[in-house]
Amino acid sequence: MTKQEIVDVIKKNIADNLDDIDVKDIDPTKSMKDYGANSLDIIEVVSCSMRDLDIRIPRSELADIGNIDQLADKFLENIGKK
Amino acid sequence: MTKPIDWDLDDKKIATLRMQDTENKNVFSHAFVEAFLATFDEIEEAEPRVLVIRGLDDVFSGGADRESLMELAAGKIVVRDLVLSERLIHARFPIIAAMEGHAMGGGLVIGLCSDIVLMANESRYGAVFINMGFTPGMGTTTLLPLLVGPYLASEMMMTGRRYRGKELKGLGVHVNDILPKAEVLPKARDLALQIAEKNPKSIALLKAALSTPKKKLLIDARAQEDLMHHLSFGFPETKAIIHEFYAGK
Repeated sequence: MTKQEIVDVIKKNIADNLDDIDVKDIDPTKSMKDYGANSLDIIEVVSCSMRDLDIRIPRSELADIGNIDQLADKFLENIGKK
Repeated sequence: MTKPIDWDLDDKKIATLRMQDTENKNVFSHAFVEAFLATFDEIEEAEPRVLVIRGLDDVFSGGADRESLMELAAGKIVVRDLVLSERLIHARFPIIAAMEGHAMGGGLVIGLCSDIVLMANESRYGAVFINMGFTPGMGTTTLLPLLVGPYLASEMMMTGRRYRGKELKGLGVHVNDILPKAEVLPKARDLALQIAEKNPKSIALLKAALSTPKKKLLIDARAQEDLMHHLSFGFPETKAIIHEFYAGK
C-alpha cells in the first residue's frame, strides 16, 4: 500500500465524518481541526481509518501528530505489522 | 476556582443544573458525582417546576473516570453511579437534558433518565462502555432501547461507536429534537417555560406516572448489569483493555 492510498482512506473518512467537506478539498498538510473537526470527530476518523487499513496503533503513539500527512506516515509504518 | 457543578433557580421557578468541570470535561470522578448528588439535594429542596441539565458547550459529560473503572476492575462495588440514575428518574419535577456537547457512557445515561432530551447535530453520543472491555452500566441496557429503539440500542452498545447527533437523526432516533448546537439551550428554555406555566401539582402527578416504566426498567437493569459487571470486570482481558485505553494519558 502506498502513502497516497493511505491519505485517500483518511480523506474519505474525514469527508464521511464532517459536514460539507469534499475529499478533493482536503489538504494533507493541514490538521483535521482546520476543517472543523472536534476531538471526538478526530478519534472517529482515526479509528475508522485504522479499521479500513487493518492496523492497530495505541492512542499514546498518536498524541503528537499534528496534521493529516503525519498521520498517514504513522499509519504507513504500521501497515502489515500486527 | 469555579465549582464543578453549579445551579440556579430563576423567577419562573426553572432550575438549571450546570456541569462545568472544564478541567476534567465532566467525567464522573468520586468528587464530581458527590457534588452532583449534593447539588441535586439542594435543587429538590427548592422545589422547582422543571429542571434543565446542561454541560459545557463542547462536552455534556464523558462518563466514568479512570479511577472508578479501576475500582470496578479491582472487584469493588461502586453503587454511586446507579444512585445518580435513580435520583434523576425519581425526581418529582420534569427534567430536560440539554445535551449541547458530547455525551458518552454514563454521560448519555443522564439523558436516558430525563423526561425530555435535546441533542446537537454537531456533537457525538455513544454508549462506549464496551470500548473499554466491559458491559454497560447505570441502566443503559434497559433504558437505551426505550430512547433509541431496541435495534439501534444493541448496535450502539455492541459497537461502542460515537454517533454524531445528525447521524442519529437520520437513523430515526426519537428524542425530542436534534438541533444545531446553538439552538439547543434556547429550545430547552422554551420547553421549560411552557412546562413551568402549567399547574405544578398536576405536572408532578404526570411526571410520577410517566416515569413509572423507567423506574421498573432501572430495577431490571440493576439486576442484570450488576451481574454482568461482576463477571465482565473479573476478566483479565478487561483490565488489560482499560490499561491500554488510558496508556499515555
